[in-house]
Amino acid sequence: MTVPRALLAIDAGAATTSVALLGRPGARWRLLGALSAPAGADVDALGWILVARLGVADPRLAADLEVDADGAHRLPRLEARSRPPETLAVLGASRRAVGLLEAVAARTPWRIRTASPESHDPREMTDLALRPEISAVLVGAGDPPGPDERGWLDDLAGLVGAATRRRPDLRIVLAGPVAARNAWAEGAGRPYDGSHERIVEAPPLGVRGGPDEPLREILEGLLPPGPDPRQTAVRALLSLADTLDRRLELIDIGLDGGLRAMASPGIADHGPAVVSVRTAQAGLVPTEIDDAAVDAVLAWTTGSLDRHRMGDRLIDLRGQPWADTSGEGARLRLAATRAALARLAERTTDIGAMPSPDVTIVSGGAFAVAPPRAVALAVADTIRRPGATQLVIDHARLLGPIGTIDDPDERRTLVADLADDLLAPIGSLLVVGGVPGGVPGTRRGAPHAVGRLILDGDQHGRYELTSGEVAFVDLAPGDQALATLEFKDAVRVGHRARRVTVQVSGGVAGLAVDLRDVPLRLPERRDRRRAALAAWGELAWPGDER
Amino acid sequence: MTAPDTMVDAEVAGRAGLELVARRTLVVPQIDMLFPLQPGDRPLVKEGEAVGRAQPIVEQIREPRTIVVNGVGTPEEPGAPGERWTAPGRRPREVEGATEGELLFRSSGRWRIASGERAETLEAPSAGVVHVVRPGSGITIRSVANAIPGRLALAGPTWGRLQVATGADGELRAQHVDVGAAGSIIVAGARMDAEALTRARAVGIRGVIVAALGIKEQRDFLASERRGRAAVHGLPPFGILVLDGAARRPIASPLMALFEAIEGGMVAIVGNPPALVVDDPSITLPAPSPELVRVRSGPLAGAEGTWAGLAGPRRFPAGVTLEAAFVRFGGRPPVAIPIGDLERFA
Repeated sequence: MTVPRALLAIDAGAATTSVALLGRPGARWRLLGALSAPAGADVDALGWILVARLGVADPRLAADLEVDADGAHRLPRLEARSRPPETLAVLGASRRAVGLLEAVAARTPWRIRTASPESHDPREMTDLALRPEISAVLVGAGDPPGPDERGWLDDLAGLVGAATRRRPDLRIVLAGPVAARNAWAEGAGRPYDGSHERIVEAPPLGVRGGPDEPLREILEGLLPPGPDPRQTAVRALLSLADTLDRRLELIDIGLDGGLRAMASPGIADHGPAVVSVRTAQAGLVPTEIDDAAVDAVLAWTTGSLDRHRMGDRLIDLRGQPWADTSGEGARLRLAATRAALARLAERTTDIGAMPSPDVTIVSGGAFAVAPPRAVALAVADTIRRPGATQLVIDHARLLGPIGTIDDPDERRTLVADLADDLLAPIGSLLVVGGVPGGVPGTRRGAPHAVGRLILDGDQHGRYELTSGEVAFVDLAPGDQALATLEFKDAVRVGHRARRVTVQVSGGVAGLAVDLRDVPLRLPERRDRRRAALAAWGELAWPGDER
Repeated sequence: MTAPDTMVDAEVAGRAGLELVARRTLVVPQIDMLFPLQPGDRPLVKEGEAVGRAQPIVEQIREPRTIVVNGVGTPEEPGAPGERWTAPGRRPREVEGATEGELLFRSSGRWRIASGERAETLEAPSAGVVHVVRPGSGITIRSVANAIPGRLALAGPTWGRLQVATGADGELRAQHVDVGAAGSIIVAGARMDAEALTRARAVGIRGVIVAALGIKEQRDFLASERRGRAAVHGLPPFGILVLDGAARRPIASPLMALFEAIEGGMVAIVGNPPALVVDDPSITLPAPSPELVRVRSGPLAGAEGTWAGLAGPRRFPAGVTLEAAFVRFGGRPPVAIPIGDLERFA
């Protein structure tokens, strides 16, 4: 088989389609160009433009790779393509049971609708199960059922059994002994014998929690097959962590969902490992824009939009996610991104509790066009983990397409070649926890000097640090420095100490030192909160370029 | 932008680029109209049946509820979920006053049945052939009429003669809603407020087409719709078709040209998918120039011009760098606009 010397890497997302041209001019693969366009754009046209630009910019390289624009559509492709999210009905015999199931299902790419006999009558629950947009039903109960479930469990079993009879296309996940009830046979028309492929059994509910990992695995297995970019990006992350020998965190926010994953390199006989959560709840804009969704974004804005106007903006952002990405539109997009990141952090507390990674990769359309400092600030605002991490962006959206390579060795080789190209450095993020007092806009006293930052033994300079501030220090891409933080009182940067030294790397945004509360507590009063956000925003957004 | 970038894009722009602009479909030649059913609603048509405009297709129950009934069917034919149920009629108190409904499920020997107090009829807004009937779920009618897709439809379905009430950039106020438009579906320009929508419904207008409708107007209208539906006499059919979104902007000129060509003909607003169905196949629908592009958002939102080629990556306000294109507005020099802010028509 002939190894190709050029290929197209395609990430077809819900909002944008991104195409990257990869070439192998010598012994290793390089990123030669990338281009994005609104979703639905002709991939062949994007490939044509990329190859044509290469042909004009470096004709010798194009000739060496034997590529020409008219032949771009014949180039081999690595293609990851997003699917529209599917909807899952979560049913239980009590609010508590539904809450436990929902907590697990919310950590999957399914969109969720919930109902229990305590909140809906049987007709409404049947209506939900029969709606055309519902592709699967998750129904659960404890084993034995809890006291709050016993009164309704037979009705629930009959209802779901009847739904299987009326909708032969409906897939069912049984988390608990629901099908063992006589009412199941009454509803379904025959007893459950385990022979239905579309009915899957899962472990039962516990008293305080659902069967997280096994149930998530089952629910993700019900999704239509195909290379979803967030799914394949996790595989590429694993290869990257192993290649770089670094702990990596990937944070991806797209239109229809988000991803958070932590990958660790292999040690001794153990291969690389990854923990990941994909959730539809971390989409940039929820599909149903209610007051809660509007308030979540308003909480991060500094402008004067009221609820109705913000709702209008979010409807338009949902409808045309690729549009209005400059000026005030860019700020709105980052505010919506912060709200999505907050939802992602809420659903991934297990990953949030892990130690700070060496490198944090941000990815997805939400970050694609924002200024680097604004991206760094958005991450610092929402992913509040004390410690130091290098912040980079998957600017050409290569992780998804690379992850479509099934062979781990082949994938690792490509990742090793492209490691320098696929991640663009934003800078380093240093979050310090436990800094005493002085948060702007609160009653905790005026901001005051709490310590100092020294970069590389004063080669770069000394910086006085003030409580409650975010400071950006210039550190160019490619530069590395040893940052020493000295405080009057003990603080937390991974561990508790008064003097901490960490290695930091430069980037377009430089080094961001964050001395705000962990978790972040914004002033309650709206005007003070906006003032605080505006003060931090001034550091991140270019001065007068609104 | 650096000089080499300019040179590269000058060469590339001459041959490609328009494909990168989001394409908006103006007319689809066939539409599958879905009419959702709740458990308890009674379909009045069968699969494969041809239906005409205004033909009853569903009997919808109002004030739906669940009743519990003993002794449905016989041991040989115990009934099945989805089947219709009719009360024996002799002792209505035993079945909570309900006379008919839909079997939901059986539990502990007793059936749960979806029923309601009264029924009202839903009529087909346009002619077609019944494609799918799923009790409790929905009816799909396939129509070979042309349809103009919209972004969102509220309430409906409805039908009437199309009347252009204002210009593409106009905003119809309550005092300008004319009773002479009763029975029509009106094209109401860029945006309409809640008061004007209420008056439109009150004077007997059957539907409204607007470029944008804010979230407040949507909520106000839907709340009014719920109140009206709950009233004793119900409401005549009324629907709103939103073409673009929520922020005010004019109706795109190719769409306006379509509406002007259709004016006076029978049309229908359907909700799923949101669209305007044009009944008369003999109307020749005008096609826009392939070079026409429209600015959907940003400072020039609503402006229309002609494609003048790719501009390459450009820096825009807020310090963002975006892939851009040149657009020529009238006789002026081309302006660089982010490609994401543009749309073209097909």
